[in-house]
Amino acid sequence: MAGAVLAGEGRLAPGAPGRGWGLRYGLRLAVLAAALALWQALSAAGLIPGDEFPSMTATVSALGHLAMSATLWAAVRDTLAGWAIGLAIGGGCAIVIGSLAGLSGFAYRSVIGVVEFFKTIPVIAILPIALVLWGATLTMKIALVAFAVFWPLVIQVCYGVRSLDPIARDTARVLGVRGAREFLMVILPSAAPFIATGLRVSVAVALIVDIVAELIGGGSGLGAQILVAENSGPSAYPVMYAYILVAGLLGVLLAGLFTLAEGWVMHWHESHRMAAGHAG
Amino acid sequence: MRGEAAAAAGSAQAGSAGSSARAGSARASTVRAASRVAGRAATRAWLFAALIGAWWAWSAGSTSVYFPPLAKIVRTLWAQWAVGPARAQLGSSLEHLALGYAIAGLAGIGIGALLWSLRYLREATSPYLYFLYVLPAPVLVPAVITVFGIGAAMKVVIIAFAAIWPTLLNTLDGMRGVDAVKLDTARALGMSGARRTLAVVLPAAAPQVVAGLRNSLQVSIILMVVSEWVASTGGIGYYIVTAQESFDYLGMWSGILMLAIVGGAANLLFVLAENRLLYWHYGARAVEGRA
Repeated sequence: MAGAVLAGEGRLAPGAPGRGWGLRYGLRLAVLAAALALWQALSAAGLIPGDEFPSMTATVSALGHLAMSATLWAAVRDTLAGWAIGLAIGGGCAIVIGSLAGLSGFAYRSVIGVVEFFKTIPVIAILPIALVLWGATLTMKIALVAFAVFWPLVIQVCYGVRSLDPIARDTARVLGVRGAREFLMVILPSAAPFIATGLRVSVAVALIVDIVAELIGGGSGLGAQILVAENSGPSAYPVMYAYILVAGLLGVLLAGLFTLAEGWVMHWHESHRMAAGHAG
Repeated sequence: MRGEAAAAAGSAQAGSAGSSARAGSARASTVRAASRVAGRAATRAWLFAALIGAWWAWSAGSTSVYFPPLAKIVRTLWAQWAVGPARAQLGSSLEHLALGYAIAGLAGIGIGALLWSLRYLREATSPYLYFLYVLPAPVLVPAVITVFGIGAAMKVVIIAFAAIWPTLLNTLDGMRGVDAVKLDTARALGMSGARRTLAVVLPAAAPQVVAGLRNSLQVSIILMVVSEWVASTGGIGYYIVTAQESFDYLGMWSGILMLAIVGGAANLLFVLAENRLLYWHYGARAVEGRA
């Protein structure tokens, strides 16, 4: 069921490529231009007060200044550090534990109730504990990201391992493929599509949790910079919105990179072969 | 879980249908089904119970300020949240959550359906929808505060704005996946556009819409807490952060448990509603799976 729940998420199906390309990108650029122009016009006409919401030009110029300063890149680096390490730890644990639990029916049924419960606990609830234990540090961010990523992913891994085709498993056994080799060559590839779906969600979740940990936990990074800018008063609002834009762009970038990596790693799988066939 | 519920429902029906000739066998199958359900429930619950027991035993003699005994936490939980002053905080949190989530769900389905029917608008806006979807919503909290202040409106706006995207994108994706033959059939039968949307497209997209709504619910709960945490004078998040800042770790733990209970209960309610709404879908899938 989780397969169905997660399958459609986070991916806007690419439209049929080919003839409509010029039109599509023309339309998209037009929408962007129209939105930016509307933003500027509303500010210029005084419909949105400048002390609450900065004008487009002010925000873009703040973004330009930030891009040339070391503060922005240090913040991006700190945010990415928490994101990457937390994702690696949470994802690694999920794959190992999920595989072990998925391989035995009893272990699966024992674990799944606990996992389902922990999955529903908002990660925010863990934040105070992490703050008490580690303070506003990178460790705190990593722990939160790993926690948030682990539970949804471990379910996906369980489902993936359990979806293993019995014929493939028996064939591997007959051919004498066992132990670590069986895991790497048979079980993991068969679970890969499920893991990929879970990871795609995790990439976004990890970034959100990371930035929350900075925004309200005080760990250094984009979230902390947004808060600093907000607290400096209306004159810093363009900077605040510039950081918000950077956070969104970072999200798009990471999701895009994941899609690329997924296509590269999973090129052998049915779903991607189909996609390639359509694109060609 | 679903299978168990179906088995229980089936055996209950069989039991109530029992004509005198079949009553004996029906009862036997009821007993068998019940023991099977009980066995499964036990397998699912033992680890959970063991973990709570371990926490209880491990923390019983704890003198650490940070990790008070579970027994004390549960007592505080009862005193604060069930009969005590924190009940009002819980009420205000749930109110904002319900309102924001309802707006997000309705608007997500509505706008998703609208975008599905207006192809060019969809093509033109899809990268920006995706931008808003992956934009970590909590970064908007300071921005929304500058516009809406720190009242109830701010919280509802933040929850609704953050939670709309999973539902919207899933609705759009689900509707795009509707079988073209079904649509053509409906058209050939002379159904109007609105009727086609309600009677053909929405049911076909329903499983994915529901998946989106479920994600939106989780996002709503997170944003409920974040909005109360950053700037507010009430709510579960406010309670937890005040307790933490005044070194009242017992209060903090009780707030965390309360949050876990709210998350678990909201999810449970959702699954129950989903089973009711989509019973035809899971029923059909179960039959397909058996064949």
